Amino acid sequence: MTEADEIMGKAYDSKLMRRLLTYATLHLNKLLLSILLLIIITLGDLAGPYLMKIIIDDHLDASNHAFYARPLNEVPEYKGAGIQNLAFVRFTTEGKGPYYLLTQNGAWYLSPIKVNGLYKINDDQLFYEGNTYKLISVPKSELKAMRGSDYSQVIKLSSFYLALMLSLGLLSYLQTYLLTYTGQSIIFTIRQQIFEHLQYLDLTFFDQNYVGRIVTRATNDVENLSEMYTDILVNTFRDILTLAGIIIIMLKLDWKLSLVAFSVVPLILLATIVFRKQVRAAYRLVRRHLSELNGFLNESISGMKIIQIFNQEKKKHQEFNRINRDYQKASLKEINIYAIFRPFMDLLYYLAITLIIYFGGKGVLDARIQFGLLFAFINYVQRFFGPINALTEKFNIMQSAMASSERIFQLLDTKPTITQPLDPIVPAKSQGKIEFKHVYFAYKNEDYVLKDISFTVNPGETVAFVGHTGAGKTTIINLVNRFYDIQKGQILVDGVDVRDWDLYKLRQRIGVVLQDVFVFSGDIKTNIRLYNDKISQAQVHAACKAVRADDFITKLPRAYDEKVTERGATLSQGQRQLLALARALAFDPDILVLDEATANIDTETEALIQEALQKVAKDRTTLVIAHRLSTIQHADKIIVMHRGEIKEVGKHQELLDQGGLYFRLYQLQYQSHQKLA
Amino acid sequence: MRKFVYLLVKPYRKRYLIGIMALLFVNFTQSYIPGLIRNTVNGISEGLLDSGGILKEVSWILGLALFMAIGRWAWRIYVMGTSRIIECDLREKLYLHFETLSQNFYNNQKTGDLMAHATNDVGAVRQALGNGVLLTFDAISLIAMSFILMLKTNPSLTIYSLLPLPIMVFVSVFLSRIIGARFRVVQEEFANLTGKVQENISGIRVVKAFGQEKAEIENFRTANKKNFQAQIAMVRIANLMRPLSMLVGAATFIVVIWYGGSLVIEGTLLFGDLMAFTMYLGNMTWPLLNLGWLFNLLNRSKASMLRLWELFSAEVEVKDGCLTNSVLDKISGDIEFRNLSFNYPNSDLVLEDINWKIKKGSKVAIVGKTGSGKTTIAELLLRVYNPNPRELLIDGRDILEYPLKTLRDNISEVPQENFLFSATIAENIAFGKTDAAISEIETASKKADVYDNIMDFPEKFQTRVGERGVTLSGGQKQRVAIARALIKNSPVLILDDSLSAVDTATEDLILNNLRASSEEKTVIIIAHRISTIEDCDDIIVLDEGRIIERGKHQELVALGGFYAELYRMQLLEEQIKQYA
Repeated sequence: MTEADEIMGKAYDSKLMRRLLTYATLHLNKLLLSILLLIIITLGDLAGPYLMKIIIDDHLDASNHAFYARPLNEVPEYKGAGIQNLAFVRFTTEGKGPYYLLTQNGAWYLSPIKVNGLYKINDDQLFYEGNTYKLISVPKSELKAMRGSDYSQVIKLSSFYLALMLSLGLLSYLQTYLLTYTGQSIIFTIRQQIFEHLQYLDLTFFDQNYVGRIVTRATNDVENLSEMYTDILVNTFRDILTLAGIIIIMLKLDWKLSLVAFSVVPLILLATIVFRKQVRAAYRLVRRHLSELNGFLNESISGMKIIQIFNQEKKKHQEFNRINRDYQKASLKEINIYAIFRPFMDLLYYLAITLIIYFGGKGVLDARIQFGLLFAFINYVQRFFGPINALTEKFNIMQSAMASSERIFQLLDTKPTITQPLDPIVPAKSQGKIEFKHVYFAYKNEDYVLKDISFTVNPGETVAFVGHTGAGKTTIINLVNRFYDIQKGQILVDGVDVRDWDLYKLRQRIGVVLQDVFVFSGDIKTNIRLYNDKISQAQVHAACKAVRADDFITKLPRAYDEKVTERGATLSQGQRQLLALARALAFDPDILVLDEATANIDTETEALIQEALQKVAKDRTTLVIAHRLSTIQHADKIIVMHRGEIKEVGKHQELLDQGGLYFRLYQLQYQSHQKLA
Repeated sequence: MRKFVYLLVKPYRKRYLIGIMALLFVNFTQSYIPGLIRNTVNGISEGLLDSGGILKEVSWILGLALFMAIGRWAWRIYVMGTSRIIECDLREKLYLHFETLSQNFYNNQKTGDLMAHATNDVGAVRQALGNGVLLTFDAISLIAMSFILMLKTNPSLTIYSLLPLPIMVFVSVFLSRIIGARFRVVQEEFANLTGKVQENISGIRVVKAFGQEKAEIENFRTANKKNFQAQIAMVRIANLMRPLSMLVGAATFIVVIWYGGSLVIEGTLLFGDLMAFTMYLGNMTWPLLNLGWLFNLLNRSKASMLRLWELFSAEVEVKDGCLTNSVLDKISGDIEFRNLSFNYPNSDLVLEDINWKIKKGSKVAIVGKTGSGKTTIAELLLRVYNPNPRELLIDGRDILEYPLKTLRDNISEVPQENFLFSATIAENIAFGKTDAAISEIETASKKADVYDNIMDFPEKFQTRVGERGVTLSGGQKQRVAIARALIKNSPVLILDDSLSAVDTATEDLILNNLRASSEEKTVIIIAHRISTIEDCDDIIVLDEGRIIERGKHQELVALGGFYAELYRMQLLEEQIKQYA
């Protein structure tokens, strides 16, 4: 909701669009097939009313049919009883005639002349244009015989129509399926691409962006695009195709009547332009107020305690009401716009229909056209308005899809700076030697958190870093495995600059146990080997046994398959540390880096961890960030840091004897450990 | 619940009535128009109409269309619009309810869930009251009217043509149900996918440290694929809807042409009648096809309404009750805890046997480890939670006798979490005293030693705080929160660990300002830093909900217990900090 402001962007951006379309080209075959099907479907669909026109004009509407009277016995195939011993047959010029069918007030007649417009029938007499003609009355029973061939034609044509619709239905299902499949495939690809891209971005990026915001990119923003691909792209194509098809067919059928019908088009265009402008403004306003409303609600819920203890419920309620009613006003305005536009479009539709019936009706009176054409025209006009309404609806979807795609591409364009070097080096023999040479490092600008740090850790040594919070201990860990690149100096692992190392091999050789153990939701086993299939079940068990994590794991109801949640609520802090140690051990690193947990751990678990640690540290270069000095007395080297600089280096006893910073820290901790625990 | 919905709608009965009448009128007219077209067509073919006659008929169509447009406008405004108004009413009710709910409720709720209720669920109710109402009346009236008119045109044709429709309705409802079920799967998979990304990003350090990027990508691919498959499974059914309804529509149409066509050829039905008949049928098909969708909509809304109803039924714990004596509108500042014990629902005792008298005008302090119950004491004084009767007395009376307003007007607190609202700094400081003059705001900010910081901002006191404004540092926020409490000038002031983010010099300054301006006031300070509370008249040390030590600073240091140790350690820490 904090991103609502960004929705205010363009609804169409050709650069973004081109980039979005490149994804579509990955599925070009399917898309082309889908478009081909769409053309067939659209054409087939438009053939419907035309078919109806033929049925009506050639078979249902009898006013153009010429009948010839022949003696009944001369036409044995005639099925009726005949009128005055005469059979009236079509598709011939033999006999007396022609006669035309006429109807008025439910009675049917045969007339010797063809009539257009007003006529009157009285006592089998036709009064037409001042003349009187004698009519032959036709009983209804005879009509069926006279028009038998029409009936079978109607059945034939409408069966064809049904078959057409059946195949169109099938094709249309195929087409939409193909399309949504393609759309979803594209969405799948984009989402995968974003996720993969995220995996290789620098930690700096994650430091600077909220988790929620990043998650939105891969989830909701991509979801917004899905409509863009499945709905907008192809349906817009269909709408335009349909419109064009209707216009062409109508012009072909009767261009004069078409022009009459199209006379409403300028009004449609005008209304749409005005509507677009209005609704866009209204939509933005609604979005803005909605985001304000959500923001307010969110804040109120989080700060409810403050509101309550300061007795400000009334004031906040008033504030809420203002925002809530602003939103109401905006959304009512949006409704108002639709309430005017939609009925207006309906009115235009009826105007078009009225025009067609009036001019078309006059055309029928003049015998220029037949009813079937009128029917087809009404149908086509009806279909004409569908796509137009649909096109106006798509505007808002487009706008939010464009905004989402912009954010997505922005993310994809963020390039990591810490990448695999062109010529990655993997030292053949791993020893575990670490050297820092005059290292300067700042997370941001020139705010150096490490200043001129130099030290060497020999293979197999255990080195502890101590110091006050913010002294730069944790930063050192982040540099050894190249989470960040330093500004000045050099860091060497086994004699090779970390920037020249094969990035992933380097990190694999360094096992890190972070202070705040992150537990992935899943089971215990997955938390130890992560998703690395190369680590076998047996190795997982061995690692856990080695660090004595096995003890508590086997006590869990489902042991290694026990489910844990992201926050790891079911595990204690100490258990999580053990888990992390097992995790590090399972990956069998050459260098172990351990950031001790600061939180309280009961003494029993603490002892367990220490024991485990010693096991893990054996034969490995180990860096420990110690928050409890009691645990590092056996370290080969203790490095005391203060404000990003190394202040003291030595063994435990040496440093105590110096009586410097380490001595004070030790005093502080020792006493607190003794008395406050 | 029914009654609740009724009460929501009741004020707008008239609007709904107008809207529904408009809808019925539109549908009636819409059903009337095919008749006009029939008359025109039949009139032409029966030689009863000349061009003037046609004009007369079609002007009727256009005239009615004009009225229909007005009617359509009216139902959009009066039904759709009203549903928007009710949406806002409902949200306001919910907000008011939120304001009365106690912290015990909020402790067990995620903000996100409450937000979802206030947005999604309220939105779903609007859908039911807008589209739901419209579609229901639309369906009933259009179907009924079309049916009657079809029967009037030709009964047997009506029966034949309606044969495929029950199948259509059945299929539509059936498919909608499947779609609904599959849609839920889609939602689950999407949530799962979101969870995966969320977790990956939160644990990105572990992923990178163990070089597990590739494995994570593969793992995500599985979730992504599942989401994809769920989507496809849904659209496989959802996409059936359109072609199927097209087909059934075509089938119905064919029946009409076959049978109706034969009637026309036999002369028993005029062509115009057939044309009108197809139009009636068209009017009827659309609402029938939407039935499945309508059922889904109503079901979803019902579920949302139930969730909201549950929320509205949540008990308001802290409120003025039968013990409240509304005459009490002042507090002078004597506080007594008398054998006070307290626990949160379903948890062990947080405070046990607290006996402590705080005299009016004295400055007292509470120290203790995290989780020892310090904040709970402050919160009981403000009745964020209800203490047991007769265990907490203010000016000799049970705290439960005081109206909430009196209590909270007379006790001000600087809470532990520095929560500021996204408003200007001035508004934030004057939060508890809306009518405060600028000079008061300035004085309070000076006392809290944040005046200079504020004046350094380009817009000074009018600077906005929060996402859309400046980001204040922890110390600045804390001092604004102190100013916010001071401006109320209430007889009791509680500082809950409120000086933790400022340096010692600033702390001294603020404490001096406090002392100077609050001689008459009772001040309770909760602190970790001994330097904050050295000069207090009375200090208690809490451990696991009990008072373990009590006295003045010197006495406690001499006692050599927890307090003395804490003091020594803090002295050492000071030394280390100054080491360079």
